[in-house]
Amino acid sequence: MSAGRLENGLRAFWIVLLVFLYAPLAVVVFFSFNSINSSARFAGFSLQWYEQLFRNEAIVAALTNTVVLAMVSTIIAVIIGGLLGYGFYRYRLGRLSWLVWLIYLPVIMPDIVFGIAEMTFFVAINERLGILSPGLGTMVIAHVTFQVPFVALLVNARLLSLDPQLFEACHDLYAGPWQRARFFLLPVLRPAILSSFLLALTLSIDDFVISFFTAGPQSTTLPIYIWSAIKKGVTPEVNAIATLMIGSVFLVAFFSLLVQHGPSGGRPSKGGRRA
Amino acid sequence: MSGHALARTASSIRVEAVTKSFERGVPALDAVTLDVEAGEFFTLLGPSGCGKTTLLRVLAGLEEPDTGRVEIGGRSMAGVPPHRRSVNTVFQSYALFPHRNVRQNIGFGLEMQGVPGAEIAERSQAIAGLTGIGTLLERDVAQLSGGQRQRVALARALVNEPDVLLLDEPLSALDAGLRAHLQLELKRLQRRLGMTFVFVTHDQEEAMVMSDRIAVLNAGRIAQVDTPQGVYEAPADLFVARFMGHENFVPIRQRDATGVDTAIGRLDGDFAAGSHLLLRPEAIRLDSDARQVPNRFMARVSERLYRGGTTEYRLDCGDIQLMASCANRGQPGHEVGETVEVGVSDRGTATLSD
Repeated sequence: MSAGRLENGLRAFWIVLLVFLYAPLAVVVFFSFNSINSSARFAGFSLQWYEQLFRNEAIVAALTNTVVLAMVSTIIAVIIGGLLGYGFYRYRLGRLSWLVWLIYLPVIMPDIVFGIAEMTFFVAINERLGILSPGLGTMVIAHVTFQVPFVALLVNARLLSLDPQLFEACHDLYAGPWQRARFFLLPVLRPAILSSFLLALTLSIDDFVISFFTAGPQSTTLPIYIWSAIKKGVTPEVNAIATLMIGSVFLVAFFSLLVQHGPSGGRPSKGGRRA
Repeated sequence: MSGHALARTASSIRVEAVTKSFERGVPALDAVTLDVEAGEFFTLLGPSGCGKTTLLRVLAGLEEPDTGRVEIGGRSMAGVPPHRRSVNTVFQSYALFPHRNVRQNIGFGLEMQGVPGAEIAERSQAIAGLTGIGTLLERDVAQLSGGQRQRVALARALVNEPDVLLLDEPLSALDAGLRAHLQLELKRLQRRLGMTFVFVTHDQEEAMVMSDRIAVLNAGRIAQVDTPQGVYEAPADLFVARFMGHENFVPIRQRDATGVDTAIGRLDGDFAAGSHLLLRPEAIRLDSDARQVPNRFMARVSERLYRGGTTEYRLDCGDIQLMASCANRGQPGHEVGETVEVGVSDRGTATLSD
């Protein structure tokens, strides 16, 4: 009896949770197809806001900035973060192994603190040296900075899940340093590298706060554009941009799921203690 | 067996005064010196932490000794990294590559050495046949059972035709039946290939069954190197005797030309000097059998364990407890509490020092 009631309670909670999570998104998507300029009354299906969106040069520029920023920063972050994750693994027993904890700091730091700090830092450098004026360059640096920890932690976690004797088996089986990287490390790390790539990509596309503080006049991204557009009220055009972003995030999340549940294997093989 | 026949390569190993310490604590290897002959099945035996795995890793090149020399096939191994040594290892966890199937696992070493693809395929096929996994080549390693993994690990090492094969407790993760079967198979394979095997185990029965010679290690030092029979029947000290499974140790009080005075009485015979007398369980005879040997005394049966072919008796002789193992020949055994006559022949004994 009470077990049944608990189950019903949990089910109700689950439904409420889903409603609050997805209903607002559904409303945005729904009204993006509205034929009139209203977020209250649906008058009929239309794609006019999407057409208008792609005719708006400011939006297209913001979209381009977002994509360029996300791609460039993600590629850099995956390379640096991957090397860092491997370094932390390789020297995990060394005297400097505590350094790994420093990498968690940006993960837990509030975005606004991080964003303001980056802005102040870039301005200070710019005033003294004349380099790093606000724009896509500074945004790439800022994005790489917050993406790297996620990549490093994912790669590191994958390495820690492997049987340490695999590295020795490789060495024992005539593989030199570069061969170990090419024929062992890269293949076994492929799922972790791909999923950290997708994660870093979504983090960059989503980011508003840090982008806002490090952007220049020419480097408006979609979230920044939406924020400034919304000051004039939520237009169906904004709904349409949001819908496109929701769609792309779902797509990336779907790929990431495919990667993680695809054929990878790689749990440590069974074995006993070491004498 | 068709196609490529495995070349009969074998190398001797010389380990000279090798010492290895890790941070903190006692040395893992303390001035270890030993010689392994070419084509020998040589076992490093000892409890966990005795340094046997460290010694194996020094041979593989995975650990660099602090001092001392290692020679394989007459060549010094100083500064030679693992991937430049003609030595392969079967790891305790098998360490099969999760991103490669069985065939690709076996071919890994040859691939790294730049052997042409056709030859890799041929040699992998041949070795898979030899190790009994010829039908598993296209399997994913995650689909294999423990015994199959062990065979793949073995094939992956053997296919390179190394001068020396190192095996780090390769059977310890398997159940008893499969283990006994693979012990036999491994021994046969070694004889057939004539390859030098260095085998690490903590199981003294496994060591005795498989080895040409055994080195018993204790706390980073070699306690004894001998044939299985030598190590079992004439252990060098109490540690080796205990480790080989012996239980009957009788302190010697005094020794003279005709025998020894011990805690269980006087025993006549020709005994070497030492602090303890070791009585092998099969050397202790009861009742009618006891009368055939000169040294006899009375004892009380405190426990009886029927083991099918033999029956084990725990005997109280004053403060000393002895274990006797008697063949079952259809006669009724002795009951717990019964007093029996015990005979000890000097042929089943050895003297030991601490």
